[in-house]
Amino acid sequence: MTQPVLELQGLSKSFAATQALKDMSLTILPGEVHAIVGENGAGKSTLIKIMTGVYQPDSGTIRVDGQPVTLRSTESAQLAGIAAIYQEPMVFPDLNVAENIFISNRAKGRIMRWSEIYREADALIAPLGVKLDVRRAAAGLTLAEQQTVEIARALSLKVKVLIMDEPTASLSAHEVARLLDIARALKAQGVAVIYISHRLDEIFRIADRVTVIRDGQHISTKPIVEVSEDGLVKDMVGRALESFAVKTAANPHGETLLSVHDLGCEGVFRGITFDLAKGEVLCLAGLVGARRTDVALSLFGIAPATEGTITLAGAQVRITTPQQAMDLGIAYVSEDRRKLGLAMPMSIFANISLASLGKLLKPFGLIDRKAEAAMAETYRKRLAIRSPDTSVEVGKLSGGNQQKVMLAKWLETKPRVLIFDEPTRGIDVGAKAEVHAIIRQLASEGVAILVISSDLPEVLALADRVLVMREGRQAGILPIEEATQERVIAMAAGQATAERPAA
Amino acid sequence: MTGLLTRASPQTLRLLALGLALLATVLFFATQIEGYLSPRMFTRISTSAAVVLPIAVGQAIVIMTRNIDLSAGSVMGVTAYMTGQLLGAMPELHPILAVLFCMALGAGFGALNGIIIAFGRVPSIIVTLGTLALYRSFLVEWSDAKTITTASLPQWLVDLPSANAFSVGGLDVRVTVLIALAACLVSGLALTFLRPARRFYAVGSNPDAAVMAGINARRVVLTAFIISGAFAGLSGFLFLAKFGNITVVAGLGFELKAIAAVVVGGVSIMGGSGSMIGVLMGALLVDTIDNSLTRWAVISEFWRDALLGGLIMAAVTLDTLASRQLTRLRKGSSQ
Repeated sequence: MTQPVLELQGLSKSFAATQALKDMSLTILPGEVHAIVGENGAGKSTLIKIMTGVYQPDSGTIRVDGQPVTLRSTESAQLAGIAAIYQEPMVFPDLNVAENIFISNRAKGRIMRWSEIYREADALIAPLGVKLDVRRAAAGLTLAEQQTVEIARALSLKVKVLIMDEPTASLSAHEVARLLDIARALKAQGVAVIYISHRLDEIFRIADRVTVIRDGQHISTKPIVEVSEDGLVKDMVGRALESFAVKTAANPHGETLLSVHDLGCEGVFRGITFDLAKGEVLCLAGLVGARRTDVALSLFGIAPATEGTITLAGAQVRITTPQQAMDLGIAYVSEDRRKLGLAMPMSIFANISLASLGKLLKPFGLIDRKAEAAMAETYRKRLAIRSPDTSVEVGKLSGGNQQKVMLAKWLETKPRVLIFDEPTRGIDVGAKAEVHAIIRQLASEGVAILVISSDLPEVLALADRVLVMREGRQAGILPIEEATQERVIAMAAGQATAERPAA
Repeated sequence: MTGLLTRASPQTLRLLALGLALLATVLFFATQIEGYLSPRMFTRISTSAAVVLPIAVGQAIVIMTRNIDLSAGSVMGVTAYMTGQLLGAMPELHPILAVLFCMALGAGFGALNGIIIAFGRVPSIIVTLGTLALYRSFLVEWSDAKTITTASLPQWLVDLPSANAFSVGGLDVRVTVLIALAACLVSGLALTFLRPARRFYAVGSNPDAAVMAGINARRVVLTAFIISGAFAGLSGFLFLAKFGNITVVAGLGFELKAIAAVVVGGVSIMGGSGSMIGVLMGALLVDTIDNSLTRWAVISEFWRDALLGGLIMAAVTLDTLASRQLTRLRKGSSQ
């Protein structure tokens, strides 16, 4: 058997309360394209960061060419022959292209021989099929060009293992094809490529073997010819569907509350049309980059729509600021708890009352602390927020409990329309089920609910109807009875899946 | 004109604009001050700029890494004083060793800054604001409010500021000017041709990318501060030579003068870009204005600082506006 170029054995890594990787093992052979797939939060990025020396594992061993190594930093990972390129390329805007390629190349000695550097940079860039002036500054390069620079940098280091992390997420179809060609060329040179992508069609086009990880654990590694797309999806989302909340018969389609017609935002999305009834859960499904969040942001007034109409409870409305949306009874529970949702260093009660402080005012505009604490306590019990009391800093809670605090904040505004953006991203299975139960409960109380989720089993478990988006357009609406994972994926991926040669 | 604007690099354009500004300043004062275009004025301005130049060079390297060294003026004061003291006690010390002592002492202070900033992860503006005061207070305590006077210094040092390296067309180039120029030149060459020195640009240009690319960003930042300290030390030596009398206020406010020279010289305050030629021209412009204003009867001496402040703001504002306009021009012409 060929000597593996990289072997991971029993890697574990945890951050505070969350175990990101559990006993992860992986073997990478020279000259193979090894795809790694998994849902968001499955531990892919932690794995990459360990392989590139950004994080150190709590336990387990890493071997390169059979020798155990300790990757203390990105520098030592590079010395061991491992480098990565990322979805967001990491270039130096002020340095020129050639220097970007050779900046960390220790083999080049201490003196910069500029003419030699330009010549070698040209030689590295040319076979990559991109026309690029190596003397120009990297500022202003397109994402694809920046990626090329990064690949050239990795090549100049004579890497044995090149990790590509979601390299095609922001590329056009043409650029994707070129990137895959580059990956094949690397493979032919004996470089092992670790290819991480959500796009299964690309994986079937390029990979030799595919590893599925889920909840920080290794699930399977198989030659690509032995797997089917369905099998992969099953492995990825594999956790028993019964762990999701059992759908209660929601108030089936009461009166229409929110009606959106031909909604669009110039250059972002367009042609979004749907009705949302009281007590109904409508899920927006689609691939990353399908612009689902932008639809939500326009409904909440953060990035207002530029065309189309929004009708709420029979009256046509224009929503241009979040304040207007809140006044109309629309609430938005954002995906990024850290950036947009919660004030991490503040207590639970302060976070819950934040959006409805107006109700808690005493004379002279002082906050009624007792009422505030009582309000928070009610939600702590109702949503089962796990903390001894409500004075705990939100930053110290687990992801699931943070999500509940954020939900409490919005529930207190008594919304009529509640928009959830990835409500269970990055939280564990148990908390996930609880959040699902809360969402269904709210629906049965008559709240109209819009859920954006990339987690298909979640979509299927929660939704009454599924609106599938593809590249900023509405691909269709499926009633839940007709929605299956296969149909949703096919609609979301559109052409890409159809073109794929049968694997 | 548009062709020139789109073809030349922004850096070249910046230097060109700076050159024009310098020329305009000199011409303006020539009409205002009698006997302005004289060898004496050249000596006055060049020796004065020579004191600022090394400290500005060090500051530029720190700013390139997206940091700032506010303590440089205090470091300069402390090194000037302690070197003066050392030479008073050991007058037979070799001049080269005296310079090295100055720079090593400064490097030590810089290292202290750098260690707290790079490894303690405290923003440089906070750390050096603290050490700005700490180093100055240390000087007050150390000196016991005594003054170093020319009388206690060895003769070679007293003679140094008037020592002439060579003359060109009646203009005297002093040895101190040559020392400062050498510091600038060596730094400039290193920043262009030494691979480790290119990392200053890399770290300032995109700190995250630097780490991802396998650059030890902390060590790079630490090195920048050590260099800044060492060059502040060199400025301290030139200050000692030029004035001979050193009190506890030596070097006070020089960090601002240095920052002005650096920023006016086109080093981006956001890090990642800048050249030593720019710093040289920036230092010259700042000192030309400074020295000329003292001779200009129209304006009170108290306005000098205000003008310096205005100059920094104007340079940065103009630079931002111009580069935005330039980007637009380029986009237009490439389509």
